[in-house]
Amino acid sequence: MRNSRLFSTIAGALFAGIVTSTAVLADPSTRIGIVAPGPHPYFTQWDAAGQQAAKDFNIGVVDYRVPAKWELAAHNALLESMASQNYNAFLIFPGDPVATRPTVADLVGMGAPVISLAGCLQDPSDAAFCFATDNTVAAYDAAKLLIKEMGGKGKIVHFAGFLTDPNTKVRIDAIARAVAETNGAVTVVDNITDLDVPEAAQDKINAFLATQGNNIDGIITTAWIPSVVAATALRKIGDKRIKMIGLDNDDLLMAAIKDGYVSGTVVENAFAQAYVGSFAVDKLRTGCKLRDDAPWKNANRSAKLMDSGTVYVTAANLDTYHDIQKDKAKGLLASFKSAYLKCP
Amino acid sequence: MAVGRSSRSQPNEEASTALGLLLLIVIAFAVFSWTATGFASPYNLYTLTRTAGLNVLLGLAMMVVIATGGLDLSVGATGVASAMFAGYLMQDFRFQMVIAIVAALCFGGALGFCNGFVVVFARVHSFIVTLASMSIIFGAMIVLTKAESVRDLPASFLALGKIRWFGYLSPMLIVSVAIGALIAIMLRWTDLGREILASGASSRAATLSGVRVGSRIITVHALSGMLAAAAGVMLSIRNGAMVPSMAGNLGQEWLLPAFLAPVLGGTLLSGGRAWVLTTVLAALLVTELTSGMLLMAIGEFWVQFALGSVLLLAVLLEKGRSTLMGTGEGI
Repeated sequence: MRNSRLFSTIAGALFAGIVTSTAVLADPSTRIGIVAPGPHPYFTQWDAAGQQAAKDFNIGVVDYRVPAKWELAAHNALLESMASQNYNAFLIFPGDPVATRPTVADLVGMGAPVISLAGCLQDPSDAAFCFATDNTVAAYDAAKLLIKEMGGKGKIVHFAGFLTDPNTKVRIDAIARAVAETNGAVTVVDNITDLDVPEAAQDKINAFLATQGNNIDGIITTAWIPSVVAATALRKIGDKRIKMIGLDNDDLLMAAIKDGYVSGTVVENAFAQAYVGSFAVDKLRTGCKLRDDAPWKNANRSAKLMDSGTVYVTAANLDTYHDIQKDKAKGLLASFKSAYLKCP
Repeated sequence: MAVGRSSRSQPNEEASTALGLLLLIVIAFAVFSWTATGFASPYNLYTLTRTAGLNVLLGLAMMVVIATGGLDLSVGATGVASAMFAGYLMQDFRFQMVIAIVAALCFGGALGFCNGFVVVFARVHSFIVTLASMSIIFGAMIVLTKAESVRDLPASFLALGKIRWFGYLSPMLIVSVAIGALIAIMLRWTDLGREILASGASSRAATLSGVRVGSRIITVHALSGMLAAAAGVMLSIRNGAMVPSMAGNLGQEWLLPAFLAPVLGGTLLSGGRAWVLTTVLAALLVTELTSGMLLMAIGEFWVQFALGSVLLLAVLLEKGRSTLMGTGEGI
């Protein structure tokens, strides 16, 4: 008797749970999950941008989530749990350009559109498109800006991220192209890679500046951590002769720009990525399609890249660049509506 | 020949442990279905059974070594290295999928064989040997592969990851359970299995009974390597790529689930007793708890905290039980 009651209770709970799950999954409003691959300062703007998009575009829910550690398994587990919890549209920075594809295929198979955000999945994938900075353009522009700061001549060192990251090779090539256009007036002394971890960046950058600092005229950094470490090193040395162009907008880097140790930084438009991305994925979920003649770029391993652009920040616009980012976001939104999207 | 700790009471103990785990699985399912939105959704059940398939294999890989009183800390490194090996055979040498998978299992078995060989002939505890081999295997793999993933895999391999039965069941769990059934048959009904358990229960007594203890220790390490390789291949099928970091740095992410399943399943850390059914059920329970807590958005660090606590509690409970019963079976 007791056993039958116990089993009745358990069966009842199971049934109620399944009914509850099914009912929640039937929620008709858009619930967007913006998912980073791990903790990183770059993604901090995504939360606010998502909330702003939810308010401006009347989207049901926009939640920013990040796994506790930067690992593929944790990233996949987070995406799977969100898919089970009635999120029906996703903006995802891939944990791996290929190994995230099966999870994206699962999500799309469940009717949830996915846009690859800030980093692209390798083609072919089920993501609608990739909305990210064109790495080639960003690195080329940064190199041109540095060459201009150096007066069109001198020697450059490039501090870069992981060599295993395909973007690193792309950035090295883009910088080489900009340097080649100077017809030998500017040369790249070295491309030092694998600096996107603090310890390695500290060791290699400080050792390089200690031994060869007098022989270079410019520094270009194309990853977050070497940008911070190099800016800090220049401040410690007290050297304003060496010109430096960094990447993104860490507080230490921005302070170095303000104090004149760094010439400027190329800031990716993380705000626009999450803001316009939220609008786009909501539209795709509610029946709009991508235009066949949309002006996609073929870059970052994807044939469907929409460039989210960059903002060049110097001491002159240090206090206003967030407004510039927002203005550019509006421009990207208008461009997406007119050139990329068709709605019934 | 009566070897190991087989006795008439063991099937009863195993059955009662299995029943207890089964009840916990049902209760946890009911609780999470009620409290965690989407837990009972078909997609979550699918991902849960897929992850459970992996955890079952990891538990079995550790269980067979624990059965002889040893440990294998290199399951993660072996699993990932073997999967990478299969990936390169398919990507660079265009091996057929089945041949590449079999080669990966043999590769994992060979790595495990090396572990066992050193344990036996150097007379060093498997904890130290596999701690060292974990770093050696993972380090060598990173150097040889330059930490690059294997991504150009045949369509037939990628298609395996898309199979879903009845909308909610991953065939990976069925494959793992089938492998578990084979190991259960081996342990219970073959001389090899009985000799493995005897070696774990008392290596001296086993030697006096004519069991080649050293050979059995090497056998279980090789078997553990093969099971870890199977887990690596399974995770690669799920990912559609072989990624060097897919089991974390040094493969350490696999250690907790690998230990949890056999310990919760009643396997004695001192050796001599290993139950496959309860190990499988414990792996299911651990997967279920992890999934439920993730859905409740408890936070991943708290999930790790909870699983670690469960492991410690299981060890202490088993220690207390054996002390109270005066069985002399130490942890």
